[in-house]
Amino acid sequence: MTDHDVVIVGGGSAGLAAARQLLDAGISPCIIDEQPRPGGQIARQPPREFTVGEWLNGGLYTNIRGLIEEVGSDPRLIWRGGTSVAGIMPGDRGAGFRLTLAGKGLEEVRARRVLIAGGCYDMPVAFPGWTVPGVMSVGAVQTLLKSQQVLTGERIAIFGTHPLMIVLAAQIVRAGGQVASVNFAQGFRQMLALGLSHGIASLRAPGALMAAGSEMAFLRRKGVRIRFGTGVRRAEAGDKGALSHLVLQSDGNDIAEPCDIAASCYGFLPQSDLVRQVGADVRWSDPAGGWEAEHDGAMRASVPGLYVAGETTGVAGSEIAMAEGAIAGLSIALDAGAITSQFAQTGMRAAQRTLERQRGFAGLLRQIADPTDFMPDADPDTLLCRCEDISAATIDATITQVAAAGDGFGADAVKLRCRAGMGLCQGRSCEHSVMRRIAQATARPVEQIDGYRSRFPARPLSIGDMIED
Amino acid sequence: MKRIDKGVTRGGTIAVEIDGHRTEVYPGETVAVAVLAAHTLRFREDRGGAPRGMFCNMGTCSECTVWVTDETGRAVRRRACMTPACEGMRIFTAEPEDPA
Repeated sequence: MTDHDVVIVGGGSAGLAAARQLLDAGISPCIIDEQPRPGGQIARQPPREFTVGEWLNGGLYTNIRGLIEEVGSDPRLIWRGGTSVAGIMPGDRGAGFRLTLAGKGLEEVRARRVLIAGGCYDMPVAFPGWTVPGVMSVGAVQTLLKSQQVLTGERIAIFGTHPLMIVLAAQIVRAGGQVASVNFAQGFRQMLALGLSHGIASLRAPGALMAAGSEMAFLRRKGVRIRFGTGVRRAEAGDKGALSHLVLQSDGNDIAEPCDIAASCYGFLPQSDLVRQVGADVRWSDPAGGWEAEHDGAMRASVPGLYVAGETTGVAGSEIAMAEGAIAGLSIALDAGAITSQFAQTGMRAAQRTLERQRGFAGLLRQIADPTDFMPDADPDTLLCRCEDISAATIDATITQVAAAGDGFGADAVKLRCRAGMGLCQGRSCEHSVMRRIAQATARPVEQIDGYRSRFPARPLSIGDMIED
Repeated sequence: MKRIDKGVTRGGTIAVEIDGHRTEVYPGETVAVAVLAAHTLRFREDRGGAPRGMFCNMGTCSECTVWVTDETGRAVRRRACMTPACEGMRIFTAEPEDPA
């Protein structure tokens, strides 16, 4: 078993920013990441075997690229890429933590302090036909483009509520691909009204907003259709079972949109299963959903020795993740006795200023992208649990059965009776929709519904690996 | 699926097999890209026999789980989006009876 002073789970914006502070304080952190190279999803790097001339140019990526260059090349950093963290539990006699890693086989490591900076993932939103091959998340299309340098389809349709759709569409067009259309479920006027009411707050961090505006103009010049007030009804398969078109709806009229890839973008959920597995406090993330880790002003979680930063604490973008990561790194160095409290406070104040600058914009983005009123409806036979193939009708019938036995139940009661959430993804895909349906059926606020209990392993392990070890 | 060529240099190709069909891919590409490059979005079948594709490309959803041969020739279940393709790898979209 290997021992580390500090393990950072996740080598994206938050994890790298924390590592920078730790390295400056003379501590060598071990970063564990499922990807081979640092950068997280925001800056998912191409494989080492590729040479990419113009990779992620543009102001949005300047800071994270700088971090990758500086921290990624530091020989004191212990980088463990291509490795998943399947489990975390308190260490012996309550000191530190034991982590179960899965890469080439299984392995246990001990760490005195752990920072979970796991990022986020695309919220999987069920609608009729969403399991047809060719329907995927915006994050999938974007990371295949950024990292593997491929265009997933000949004609890519994009739908949802999140402005990231504009960024992806522009990236596809610049890479020589074709965007069928970008479809915002919400109306343009509503978005504009929100933008104006937040004008002053967002002007403090105008970079990203202006980028969105200029990308929109670029797409219009390139003839890409951008629709507002247009939601998705269903995806239809062709002869070979793969996607042939989306059926969209605008003002009560159906629109058929031919496409071979359809990318869904209703927002992002925090990656927090390890936080929940180790028993640290989380709260329901409003409005998009998912569980975000709770923390104090120095990014300490409710379990001693555990720290959290970035999207794991709530989805707010790369700049906020970096600032939170810096605070977490300083806080760990301080708690380890490697820096003085005066030094830590000076550094934290600088990061706090960045947080304050960015929060107005992050809040505006949350409101603009709010999917609550725009989620498409599932049909009774739409699969909500994609792993175990459990339909909306089965889940609703199970909720009715469980509700007959009494109030106050959570998602686990439904899981135990119908297997929803028992598959390889450990409920990451269907948990939020099961919770929303329980909330609706029992007239309770969704944040008061208990989610699935977060279980080992957080990532799928092969039985062969478990037997051998 | 289409590879972006402009400004991108890849190494020499390697050969993999998908359900018995030989496909050329580039070092560094994932098994997911190998399947997409074989002009198929179908990664597996669900319990009802319906074709299923990849969804998240970040190891979170496991929708793209396939069987691949490891160094010993044994078939193991892996998330295609998280697994690098290797020379000679055999990829199966349904559980193989005996890959060796």
